[in-house]
Amino acid sequence: MEDIKAYIESGILELYVLGDITHDEKLQVEAMAAKHPAIKAELDEIERSMEQYAEHNAVEPNEQLRGRILNSLLTNLGDDSTFNKAEDFEDNVIALPASKPTNFYKYAFAACLALLIASGVALMNLYNKLQQSNTQLAVLQADKQHFANRVNFVENELGVLRDTTFRFLKLKATPKAPVGASIMIAWSKEKHKVMVDMANVKMPVNDKEHQYQLWALVGGKPVDLGVFDANPDSTDMKEMKTIAAVKTDAFAVTLEPRGGSVNPTMDQMMVLGKF
Amino acid sequence: MLALRNREKIAIEALYDMYSSSLYGVISRIIIDTPTAEDVLQETFVKIWNSFASYSTEKGRLFTWMVNIARNLAIDKIRSKDFKNQNKNQELENNVTFIDEQRNTVYNPELLGIKELVETLKPEQKSILDLVYFKGYTHVEAADELGVPLGTIKTRLRMAIIQLRKHFN
Repeated sequence: MEDIKAYIESGILELYVLGDITHDEKLQVEAMAAKHPAIKAELDEIERSMEQYAEHNAVEPNEQLRGRILNSLLTNLGDDSTFNKAEDFEDNVIALPASKPTNFYKYAFAACLALLIASGVALMNLYNKLQQSNTQLAVLQADKQHFANRVNFVENELGVLRDTTFRFLKLKATPKAPVGASIMIAWSKEKHKVMVDMANVKMPVNDKEHQYQLWALVGGKPVDLGVFDANPDSTDMKEMKTIAAVKTDAFAVTLEPRGGSVNPTMDQMMVLGKF
Repeated sequence: MLALRNREKIAIEALYDMYSSSLYGVISRIIIDTPTAEDVLQETFVKIWNSFASYSTEKGRLFTWMVNIARNLAIDKIRSKDFKNQNKNQELENNVTFIDEQRNTVYNPELLGIKELVETLKPEQKSILDLVYFKGYTHVEAADELGVPLGTIKTRLRMAIIQLRKHFN
C-alpha cells in the first residue's frame, strides 16, 4: 500500500494524463492501473479535473468550422448510407472558408497583370507590322514616282519621234575612231534642241577621266553642246544644251577630259556628220 | 460509444458538439493563427474518427485520449518547417482579415468563471500547468523555461491538479 501511495505522489500519473511520458512509462502506468484500483481511481480523478479545466478554458470555434469538419469526416465514409441524407447537403452549403475574399484580389491582380503583359506583346506585334507597312508604302511610293518619271520621259522621247521639226543625223567615224563607230542625233532648228539617241551610240566605252563632248560647227566655230557617256546599257534620248543657231555646218564628237573642254581637242575627234 | 465505433454520423456530431470547444481551447492556445488552429482542429477530428478503434475505455477517459491527439497535432504543426516558413511569409492583405477574425473570437461565457478558479491556483501552479497543458511544453522544457528543478515541476504540477480537483468537487 505504501508503494502505491508513493507511486501516486511521484507525479507520474499527472504526466501520464498530460501525455508527457515515454512509451515505456505509459505501458507501466497502464499496467499499474489495471492491477491497483486505487491508482485507477486516482488517474480517473486527475483526468476528470483536467477535463473540467479544459472546459473552463474552452474557446468556441467558428460556426462554419462545424460543417466543414463534419463534412470532411463524412466524406471519408464514402458509400456510407447515412451520407446521402438531404441535411448533409445543407451542411455542404454552410462550409465556406473565411479567407476566400482575400484570395480573390490575389487572383484578380494576377489576371490583370497577365492581361497587361498580353496586351503589351500584342501592341508590340502590331507596332512592328505598322512599321513594316509604312516601309512598304514608302517603297511603293518611290516605285510609283519612278514609273511616273519613266512614263513622262518615254512620252518626251515619243514626242521627239513624232515631232516633224526634228531631223535625224548619223555622225560617222573619223579615222581616229574604230571602224563602224557612229552616233545618231536629232536636231530641231525651230525648238533649238539637240538630242543624242543613246541607244544608237556605237562608240568605245569612255574611261573615268574622259567623256564625249558634242559640238556644233556654226560658221566655222565650234559651239559646246554638252558632254555624255557612252554606256551600252542606256537607251535614252539625251537632251543636250540648247542651240541658238538655225544653221550649222556640221556636228562632231570629241573625247575630252571629264566635264568637257571650252575648245574641242581636234585630234580627238571621233565622229562627224553634216546635213 | 457504440455509435462511434459503428461510425455513425450522429455519433461524430455529438462528439463534435461536446468536445470541439474544449479541444479548440487547447489548440488555439498553442497555435495563435486562427486558420491554422482550425485546420488542426479538423485534423484532430479526422484522426479521432479514423483511429477510434485504437481507443479503449480501460486506458482512461475519452477526453484525455482526444486532447492528447489534439495537443500532439498542434505541436507537430508549430514545429514543422512549413509552419515556420508560413509565419515569415504572412502577407499584409491576409493579416487584415486575420486581425478581424481574432477580434471576433467567440469566448466561452464560462470563461468568466475562470478568474475565481485562477485565484484558487497559486501563480506558480498555474504557470506550470498552462505551460504543459496549453502551450505544449514537456515538463523537461517547462523546467528549463521556469528555471526550476525537474522534481519541483512535478510536485507543482501535482499540487495544481489536486487544487483543481478540490475546486471542481
